[in-house]
Amino acid sequence: MPPAYLPSLPKGHEFPSTTLALTPEWVARYTAAVEDEAIGKLGSDLIPPMALATQAIRALIEASPLPEGTLHAGQELAFKRAVRTGEALTLKARVASRGERAGWVLMSVDFEALTGEECVMTARGTISFPAGSD
Amino acid sequence: MASQRTVPAAGDILPTAVKLVTQEQLQRYAEASGDHNPLHLDPDFAAKTEFGGTIAHGMLVLAFASEMLTAAFGRAWLESGRLKIRFRAPARPGNRIVASGRVLKVEGPYVTCEIECRNGEDEVLLSGEAGVNLS
Repeated sequence: MPPAYLPSLPKGHEFPSTTLALTPEWVARYTAAVEDEAIGKLGSDLIPPMALATQAIRALIEASPLPEGTLHAGQELAFKRAVRTGEALTLKARVASRGERAGWVLMSVDFEALTGEECVMTARGTISFPAGSD
Repeated sequence: MASQRTVPAAGDILPTAVKLVTQEQLQRYAEASGDHNPLHLDPDFAAKTEFGGTIAHGMLVLAFASEMLTAAFGRAWLESGRLKIRFRAPARPGNRIVASGRVLKVEGPYVTCEIECRNGEDEVLLSGEAGVNLS
């Protein structure tokens, strides 16, 4: 399926479900990038919870490119259980809201990461970008 | 605030996490996150924006706050953490970021904290609330 440009998506749009790739290599790269010194003290294969959120956003960006200059305005997250390296997770996402004010679009996207029927994380990310980007 | 084995009380201060943001780190984070927005990576592009230079990914700064919460609450943060934050101002390469938190209330096993990240100029970069279930 060709990527859908994010600014053109209406409220209620559901993104195609996708698999999150929490490979050991990617988790190591992420942990090094954010210089997380706390996660390693909890267990060798537990991933930083924000890595899961980052993978969710990565999947969204790959499915729907963002306009240049997009800003991350806010973030909500809820973790239901610890996630381990190598787990196979499915991501579901939909456009929760879309509004326009003072020449900027404010868009919220709801995420849900699942293993089978079990939800391990919910999230809502809010971004803004210049109106007319679509 | 001590480890996850200590029952926290309202007013307790969480141990801080301190990080120095570099342009090289933004590049590494872009590769991990897939977010190659030129606002984070291209000094020429970013110089022409309202920010006047590159800024850090919001989720990178939020990762510093999450590390602080992992250190404070251990696995409880991974298993039951929740947060709601707003990004208030951009972090820039060269900024020394301090992620901090304070316990607002404790209701049974549920602990709610206010959290924030500030730069070296004491500017609030992100702020909000986080909670965990310590049962």
